Amino acid sequence: MTVQPESAPVVAAVASAGLEEAALIRAAQNGDHAAFERLVRAYDRSVLRLALNLLRSPEDAHDVYQEAFLRVYKNLHLFRSDSNFHTWLYRIVTNVCVDYLRKRKIRREEPAVLETADGERDRLDVVPEGRAEGDPQRALLNRQLSARIQQSLQALTARERMVFELRHYQGLRLRAIGEALGTTEEAAKTCLFRATQKMRAALGDFV
Amino acid sequence: MSCETVRRDLSLFLYGELSLEEEQALQEHLEACPECAQARGAEEALHAALDRRGLEPSPELLAGCRRELGLLLKLASARERGWLARLREAFSGPVVAVWRRPAAAVALVALGFFVARWTSPARPGDTPAEGQIDRIRFVEPDASGGVRIAVEETRERIFTGRPDEDRIQRLLLAAARESEDPGLRAESVGILNARPELGGVRRALLEAVQHDSDSGVRLKALEGLKRFAAEPEVRDTLARVLLSDQNPGVRIQAIDLLTRQKRQEAIIGVLQALLNKEDNNYVRLRTERALQELNASIGTF
Repeated sequence: MTVQPESAPVVAAVASAGLEEAALIRAAQNGDHAAFERLVRAYDRSVLRLALNLLRSPEDAHDVYQEAFLRVYKNLHLFRSDSNFHTWLYRIVTNVCVDYLRKRKIRREEPAVLETADGERDRLDVVPEGRAEGDPQRALLNRQLSARIQQSLQALTARERMVFELRHYQGLRLRAIGEALGTTEEAAKTCLFRATQKMRAALGDFV
Repeated sequence: MSCETVRRDLSLFLYGELSLEEEQALQEHLEACPECAQARGAEEALHAALDRRGLEPSPELLAGCRRELGLLLKLASARERGWLARLREAFSGPVVAVWRRPAAAVALVALGFFVARWTSPARPGDTPAEGQIDRIRFVEPDASGGVRIAVEETRERIFTGRPDEDRIQRLLLAAARESEDPGLRAESVGILNARPELGGVRRALLEAVQHDSDSGVRLKALEGLKRFAAEPEVRDTLARVLLSDQNPGVRIQAIDLLTRQKRQEAIIGVLQALLNKEDNNYVRLRTERALQELNASIGTF
């Protein structure tokens, strides 16, 4: 196999990152707080993004972030060095998120529309999306679409929603999702398949 | 590959989750079938719409999460190194004295409560009310010129109900036994006195009358036991109280309860023993009077 000239540093960087992570984990397991903080920093943005997209509420995402990393902290001594830390971490995070989703389902889903001083607004509009909406007509359509997406997400089971979020927004492969959820790639595929079918049925005429 | 299969697998195709063979077959079908190619366009539009919905956490949210996690980890770590570790060591050794087991259980229940409180993250905008602050754990300036303060707080919940309701009774019993405030213990015992026929209440009153450090609470508990002063367990307890309680008012109350009973001769020995050691004049007087009423000697022991 011929290694491309630019690949060598990339491979070295990846290997070095893996070694560094293993060293960080060992140090954190031995009580090094700075090492634990560096581990958190390596993953926390994607954890928060997952929670925010799943729960659609910054407050809930904030809570999930705290609970997930506290669980990681308390259980880090159980992590085995021959496992994949990313998968192990996501297993904890997804468990916390699924618990949250189920609890919320029990106590009633958040309404898609919020009452504000300016009248009714879509819940998603009050969360900054980082996209300017200059065209009012387009903004209206986007709001309607967002509401429809939200409704269709509510129709998914907690597991289907988790698989969908991990695949669509986190870009995780189905194999990794299966490992994170403690199931098989095939089961994750079935979940994703069901989720997209439901989304298509709900949104097909809208897009 | 049929149109039905293609339509079903389009989403997985766009996610790149089909096997190489499946992907190749689907691709070939799309090139030959305009309807399915159109369906692919619709599927791509759906994916694009879903893409637009993706949220990115704001830097403020991420920074807030990191700050609070740092704080919670400090608390968790401090507790693990401190009394939690000592508690674990004290009660998890191979030989645990039997008398320490209930203490360990109580301590761990309390521990669970406090850990839950301390590790519950404060939501943005939460402010502890002054009356809720029990203790400031630490204060730490941060790099941005702000300050982080770890506050140990308790929150009140109000339970309402009738005193004979199970949950209310459990709370009253807990308050009577465990509260550090003697006024609260006396109040709880006073309410429990209305139902002394219940086993749990009777036990609590007997414990209070023997072990509560506050004489007001012991007197309240004696009131609750009035109706049961003829029962052997209560009589035995009253006799012990009579001979050991440091408070003259409690001893007098105990004399009253014991001498109200029909089988008073059984307490003569106790009263004589009390008279032998009693140095409070009024209690001596009451004891002598009780013995005279029983036609018992006050000087033959």
